Amino acid sequence: MSRFGALADYAPTLETRYQLLPFRFANLDDGRCVVTNMVGEYALLSRADLEDFVHHRLVPSSRAYDDLKAKHFLVDGDDSVAVDLLVLKARTKASRLAQFTGLHMFVTTLRCEHACPYCQVSRQSEDRAAFDMSEATADRGLELVFRSPSPTIKIEFQGGESALNFGLVRYIVERAEEINRTEGRDLAFVIATNLAIVTDEMLQYCREHNIFVSTSLDGPADLHNRNRPRAGRDSYERAVDGIRRARAIVGRDRVSALMTTTRDSLGRVEEIVDEYLRQGFGGIFLRPLSPYGFAVKTKSYAAYDADAWLDFYFRGLRYILDLNRRGYRFVEHYASLVLGKMLTPFDTGYVDLRSPAGIGIGALIYNYDGEVYASDESRMLAEMGDTSFRLGNVHRDTWEDIMTSEALLRPLEASYTGSAPMCSDCAFEPYCGADPVFHHATQGDAVGHKPTSAFCRRNMTIFKHLIGLLDEPETRRILLGWI
Amino acid sequence: MLTLATRTLELRGFPSDEVSRHLLLSEDRQLPEPLRRSRAFIARVGQPPSGFAAYVGFQDRPELLEIIDHAQTPVVLLPATDFEYLSDGDVLRVMPRGNAARAVYRRRSRQNFILTTERCNNFCLMCSQPPKRDDDSWLVDDILRLLPLIDRGTPEITITGGEPTLLGDDFLRILSACESWLPETAIHILSNGRTFADLDFARRYAAVGHHDVMVGIPLYSDVSHLHDFVVQAKGAFDETVRGILNLKSLGQRVEIRVVLHQQTYRRLPQLAQFIARNLRFVDQVALMGLEMTGFTRANLPLLWIDPIDYQNELEQAVDELVAHGVRTSIYNHQLCVLPERLWSFARKSISDWKNEYMPECHGCTKMDQCGGFFSSAHLRYSDHIRPFLAAGSDRSYGMPAHQSGTL
Amino acid sequence: MVDEGGGRFSAVLCFSTAVYSVEAVKRAAYRFTDRLSFDISLRDQEIRCSVTPLADMTKVDLASLTARVRNEVLDQDLRERIAAETAGVRNVVLAYAFSATGLQDS
Repeated sequence: MSRFGALADYAPTLETRYQLLPFRFANLDDGRCVVTNMVGEYALLSRADLEDFVHHRLVPSSRAYDDLKAKHFLVDGDDSVAVDLLVLKARTKASRLAQFTGLHMFVTTLRCEHACPYCQVSRQSEDRAAFDMSEATADRGLELVFRSPSPTIKIEFQGGESALNFGLVRYIVERAEEINRTEGRDLAFVIATNLAIVTDEMLQYCREHNIFVSTSLDGPADLHNRNRPRAGRDSYERAVDGIRRARAIVGRDRVSALMTTTRDSLGRVEEIVDEYLRQGFGGIFLRPLSPYGFAVKTKSYAAYDADAWLDFYFRGLRYILDLNRRGYRFVEHYASLVLGKMLTPFDTGYVDLRSPAGIGIGALIYNYDGEVYASDESRMLAEMGDTSFRLGNVHRDTWEDIMTSEALLRPLEASYTGSAPMCSDCAFEPYCGADPVFHHATQGDAVGHKPTSAFCRRNMTIFKHLIGLLDEPETRRILLGWI
Repeated sequence: MLTLATRTLELRGFPSDEVSRHLLLSEDRQLPEPLRRSRAFIARVGQPPSGFAAYVGFQDRPELLEIIDHAQTPVVLLPATDFEYLSDGDVLRVMPRGNAARAVYRRRSRQNFILTTERCNNFCLMCSQPPKRDDDSWLVDDILRLLPLIDRGTPEITITGGEPTLLGDDFLRILSACESWLPETAIHILSNGRTFADLDFARRYAAVGHHDVMVGIPLYSDVSHLHDFVVQAKGAFDETVRGILNLKSLGQRVEIRVVLHQQTYRRLPQLAQFIARNLRFVDQVALMGLEMTGFTRANLPLLWIDPIDYQNELEQAVDELVAHGVRTSIYNHQLCVLPERLWSFARKSISDWKNEYMPECHGCTKMDQCGGFFSSAHLRYSDHIRPFLAAGSDRSYGMPAHQSGTL
Repeated sequence: MVDEGGGRFSAVLCFSTAVYSVEAVKRAAYRFTDRLSFDISLRDQEIRCSVTPLADMTKVDLASLTARVRNEVLDQDLRERIAAETAGVRNVVLAYAFSATGLQDS
């Protein structure tokens, strides 16, 4: 007789009662369901297995049973460490909330020498007094910045074209550095600029103060220039030249680019990706169509836009994955953020896909005139006449006034996906976020009507698609390299 | 494979009831006289210098030590060829009552182990040091007497068992003594981690404040009952994971070790995902080949799988861990049974007293890089061992001819 | 049942209160309010759900959509069961996730 026990001596039996741990489910397309737990771990099950699972009929030590046990969907021992681990993971995911506002945007000026039709905020003007942020406003803004308890502070310069008021950029950087000598935060700077009027001296300053450069590149020259007109019709050429100079002076890892997707972009995703490849970028963020501006003015953000964009996105993703399969690493950044939520224990820190929403508690924007808004989109809305998400003014209001204002708290609470209709029982809620500004702008209230929400449709489709991709071993290996 | 212990030796001049005595060995004929009082001289040739506390010789040259009056000074005669490796700075433990001796420390070795107990509260199917239930608490004092004799320049020592933490406070005393006597030596503790589930014990462990210590803790599955089966103890998984959590919450370093065999390879990618998701903060993960010693022999049908047959699972697991930023190493695998993508994770780690190469290795150009085999592997090893031959050969795995001379 | 009244097809779905809760029916219905409008009432042991398309729809499409509504009610019923069984653990996890002290001190 062996001294060793058999597997059957340790494994749960048909008599073993297991308990369900909290989870949600959704149907995928092909008779399969996806189940997700409170921290976004997921498993794929057949419908039959799901029903068996819920009714405590799942066969112990079947593949499904073992997967669900390991991923903390069920527990079958008296003193299992499973709940402890679940708690730890939930704390880890939530921990960024306690850090509070980490991203602080300063609109140094509304002036801009571009005239992009999709921009809601810029002014074609030389009037500095009217449209530049003053040092007094910057000072008040910085006081508010350091009222945030966040150990990491990122100050981002926006506009208009922020570099048109580079003197103020310098002022804010140096004031912030001075304050930080006693504050001791992890302080970082980013300047969002079209690079068209940025000199080597400005870039040298960025190098000295570790300011990252974020620019716009919408695609190949004709597309970019059509999207982004300026006198001289040379936005693309200046952007490309600026990227080269910025990499040389500030550092190749400190220069990034973002695209704006317009209707003209929708049919040309491969060309846009190729442009990013050509310019030496390691990835691209395929951004959604913005509903602000024209769409909001006419109160139409047509459903067809969501589908047309999804087509654009998936074609782009397929093209990018193909590049990866051929051995060229190139990342799609939105997918990589979502994958981080799906596969890692961490919150990936993207303010626009968070619940509670990132408005205010994740990011704040200090406008040139001292008005404080809950997000960049909130500012755009205000420029179009809707000040619902204006939280206060740096000259008049304290940190407490701003962070406890109704304008912030009501939409935060209302839009929280954990209690919103349809979101609260959605399996993909751990990956998703609340976007009260989007829903207010397109549907009239912060919660939104998710069955008709383009935000919901877009995200849910992407989540399902990525889960499908992760199920293919070769693709999974590529996607793992993106997180 | 080196012989470390023997019962075929002659001891002269030791009290017959003496349990254990450590001899710090010297080969230095010029050793200053005050230092000879605490060392034993190894007599290999010529007349032994006087003044040493003891003398160690070999049974094929007993005449060298005939001059020693063993009424005054004890003499040890070891079997000749087996112990030829003993050298300056090594420590030999002689056990007169049991007529035995063991080389317990070798200064030139890269791996020195201190065995703290043979008792264990797990009973792993593949245990290389099968547990015994005898009271071996005498080992504690023995170790405390050994530690001061170990060269303080030793880079690393491994504390092993059985399960060292079963010694409770004595385990902590040993760790503390390591910090006192060997303040520059790193300590690697092999433990199943279960005792650390007791937070108070974990705190007291942390309070020792050792400057460079890591606990290597095995975890064999993401599913608790599968782990419990491999270690043959119900509830082991939960205690082990709790132990890991406690240690990390106290800022202590933890390595997770996984032995790869038939009962652990299938869910290896899932275990990697589990570690990345739940235990992301561990300091490193070691994926280890199976040793054909101890219980493995008895359980071979349950355990054996040719490493070639789990290449996929191993690759997926490493991909998973590396993608999440977990430091990963592969131990005790030969390069010819690993996918080339994984070679950079393979560490040459088999203890120098255990490693060898097989006939199939003949002519292999990568023997230096490769760790080779445990001596015990002669019992069973992969059917796919193939040498990497020089370029131009018809069985070449190496660089093509036109690249020779460059790297 | 499909009722061809009023120029646009509509349908009535009935759910026994012995099997389904009103809450489950409402939650299920909500998910289809992009294409359907619902009128929900309770009579005897029955939840009556009168369903009208928001835009013109063929009988076939309406039938297929109402079948999906029924399935969604089943799903919501399942969700209720899961939520009821797991509410305790869910609250414990949330409480610890947001508490100032950790597990260690409990």
